Amino acid sequence: MLTKAQLERYLSLCLASEADFAEIYEEEETSETVSSLNTEVENVARTVKSGAGIRLYKGVQSVYGFSNFVDDEHLLPIIGDLRSALGDTEGKEAPAVTLTEAAVPDNNPVRIDFESVPLCDRAELVFRGERAAKAYDGRIVKTQGRLLNVRQRVQIANSEGRLAKDLRVRTRLMIDAYAAEGDNFQSGGYYPGAGQGLEYWEEKTPESIGEEAARSAVVMLSAVDCPSGKMPVVIDNEFGGVIFHEACGHSLEATSVSKNQSVFAGKLGQKIAADCVSAVDDGTIPGAWGSENVDDEGTPQKKRVLIENGILKSYMIDRLGGRRMGMEPTGSSRRESYQFEPTSRMSNTFICAGKDSFESLFEGVERGLYAKKMGGGSVNPMTGEFNFSVREGYLIENGKITTPVKGASLIGSGAEILLNIDRVSDNLTRGQGMCGSSSGSIPTDVGQPAIRVSSITVGGTANE
Amino acid sequence: MNKQKWIVRALEMGVDGLEIYEGQSAERSVAWFDGQMDSFVTSDVKGTALRAVVGGKAATLVLESVDDDKIDETISLLIAQAKLVSSKDADILREPETTDEVKSRAVWVRPSMEEIRAKLAAVEAAVKAADPRVKQVTEIGWNESCDSREITNSKGVHVTDSGRSQILYAGAAVEENGEVKDGFHIEVVSDLSKIDPAEIAKKAVEDAVNDLGGKPVSSGQYPVILERRAMTSLFGALTDMFSGDLIGKGLSPLKDKADAAIFSDKITVVDDPKNTDCLSVANYDDEGCPTRRKVLVDKGVFRQALHNTKSAARMGVESTGNGFRHGYAGSVSVSPKNCCILPGEDSFDTLLEKMGNGLVITRLAGLHAGLNHITTDFSLQCSGYLVKDGKRDRPVALITVAGNFLELMKKVSAVGSDLDWEYRSLACPSILFESCAVAGE
Repeated sequence: MLTKAQLERYLSLCLASEADFAEIYEEEETSETVSSLNTEVENVARTVKSGAGIRLYKGVQSVYGFSNFVDDEHLLPIIGDLRSALGDTEGKEAPAVTLTEAAVPDNNPVRIDFESVPLCDRAELVFRGERAAKAYDGRIVKTQGRLLNVRQRVQIANSEGRLAKDLRVRTRLMIDAYAAEGDNFQSGGYYPGAGQGLEYWEEKTPESIGEEAARSAVVMLSAVDCPSGKMPVVIDNEFGGVIFHEACGHSLEATSVSKNQSVFAGKLGQKIAADCVSAVDDGTIPGAWGSENVDDEGTPQKKRVLIENGILKSYMIDRLGGRRMGMEPTGSSRRESYQFEPTSRMSNTFICAGKDSFESLFEGVERGLYAKKMGGGSVNPMTGEFNFSVREGYLIENGKITTPVKGASLIGSGAEILLNIDRVSDNLTRGQGMCGSSSGSIPTDVGQPAIRVSSITVGGTANE
Repeated sequence: MNKQKWIVRALEMGVDGLEIYEGQSAERSVAWFDGQMDSFVTSDVKGTALRAVVGGKAATLVLESVDDDKIDETISLLIAQAKLVSSKDADILREPETTDEVKSRAVWVRPSMEEIRAKLAAVEAAVKAADPRVKQVTEIGWNESCDSREITNSKGVHVTDSGRSQILYAGAAVEENGEVKDGFHIEVVSDLSKIDPAEIAKKAVEDAVNDLGGKPVSSGQYPVILERRAMTSLFGALTDMFSGDLIGKGLSPLKDKADAAIFSDKITVVDDPKNTDCLSVANYDDEGCPTRRKVLVDKGVFRQALHNTKSAARMGVESTGNGFRHGYAGSVSVSPKNCCILPGEDSFDTLLEKMGNGLVITRLAGLHAGLNHITTDFSLQCSGYLVKDGKRDRPVALITVAGNFLELMKKVSAVGSDLDWEYRSLACPSILFESCAVAGE
């Protein structure tokens, strides 16, 4: 990695321009995926990435250059391009930059680095998950497993003299199970992960993951077409939090708020959700999938209370967004890699636990949908319109969970759904996902307790 | 990187074959917001993917920085990875082959920074002037990229080529009666000086204005036209069904469907990496296999799956030259390239007339999640407009369209003539379907 002296020299050269701020982000990342089909290893793929991204600001203008040739020959022309993109550089002097390394407490210590364990033992974790899925039910005909391990070292230096380093280690086990009965072929998957080393799989056993994938696939064998229309919907915990992530989280990012491109722009202090809704984005949860010690601008990660009892309390703000909004950054700047300019992103985002019991959510629901497991979704921050798919759903009839349904999706507008949450249970858990946006694909946790939305449009396939 | 040295040493160390894929990409992009340059990005990135075959099993290692002094260490790692592979399918590196090569017809004129800034400012002004309902110019930008690849293997394959692209995009938000909608247009630009800002602005603003006042329709079965962009996104999200890899593993809905009628006889699907109507062409895939034109579905009958070397060997057939990587960091998978549903005879207006009363869907959302790739069940948020007596009626929003893709594709009434590749490597014309389930009010 670049030395402190090298970073200081490059930052100084960046400032010999119209720029009022400069930042260098450097990264080294090793990742490995072991893929298996029916407990036979199909592929072991390793990727070793290293590169640097340089960013200059002039007011709210940002210019960014990156390369994986981290040397004078390649970085100096990039710095030259960036300087001239901001305007005339003639006669501009290079002010000295002195870096001080920030003391960054390690909130996410790792006990078992994946490379300290033999490759065959890493593969065995996948096999354990697959074998458990296969053993769960005679109708499981195929299993697929993938174990992903990532170790990313970053250092971020800026012209204000801050140098911050971080080590991010992540592991994720993805098991898919396929169930068949005659021509009926259904799948179920479960993909937990953590910002930890392989010790995580002592706590979350591969067997429990395989069994959950298989259970879901088998349930779907008996699923019928989902009815359509507006109805009450109970969305369960863990990955069910994708509803908040999509419908509200993205619209609270400075990326859209700072350009007045969000339905929640200008609404701080206002009521945007039902009184029973509080939500946070917390990048400091030890060992969580979306946690890191510092964000990708070197600012310490934080816990941000986004909504408290229905009132909008905070946005998620990166440095550039903060400049546009006249607000302090909240440690929310993230990126996939040096190949992306960072922007405001979520970390571990969830609706806080409420006081209602899980059972009480179904009381009084004559006809509704229970979304036990959610798939992914997307949102248009400008209009707040969102959609997401239900991976495992059931009908609610007269207050009881009844028949499994397939092919359901939920659509609506984020601003509306937040106000329509009328019950929040006490069973908060988080689930893991990859979130895509302008600064690439990053690991984020979604989460919530089971919630009830009084009315939401369900798109189904049943002819009525 | 001294490739010869790597290959010689790898063979000495007991590797049966070594493939070296190098990809390089240089980009320049400018984004414009609120009267000034908002961001500028420049980049130069190179990566190397090594694929070693040991005892018929392959392992891959992607490096962004290659050190000729670490050959032994790197090859040892690859050998250890390959030895763990227990799948019975053989990995094979290709022998050198030749093909009749085509060249992309695109001619690119590289603009100066001053030209780019001036044009982006002009497009911004044009978007503002295009309609009184324009609330904000959400984004304006320019992106140009130059990519090259070089594939070398120990059997003598050596393929190299490069491609370029330049695009201009504009986005607008419009507001009427408190309702906000956004629109977007993206255009491939060979010569920026020839671009009329008003034309770009008009398309972006129309895309937004058309959705204003959109309301749900009652739930029910409707005759539906999937407009070409919506059809392209739906078909594109499901083309993995043609993957010979997934078919071989029993994970495609087309397993056991060879020579069966899977779609309406009005549908023919062609994949042709050498189609020079498209933005980029490839004479060879990323394994060095020559590409060719294939008819995947002939008048509704499934005739041909897509293959790379490994998936073809598993099924005892020849590779179709569809072993592509998604950049140097991706592994060789099976992907379509320049794949389309062949256009029919009817203009879009004729499709409207043929439908009479029904629904046109112009946008689909949530394609990455609302589809089941095994069953092809889908349930997707969409917007568009109602059609009455063959004429455009009111806009429709916040509805879902749902069904099973294989069943839907059997209910084709007519295929439009409006195929347009634009910047895509997969495209469809607009298609009129007899009926589709819509969920709204």
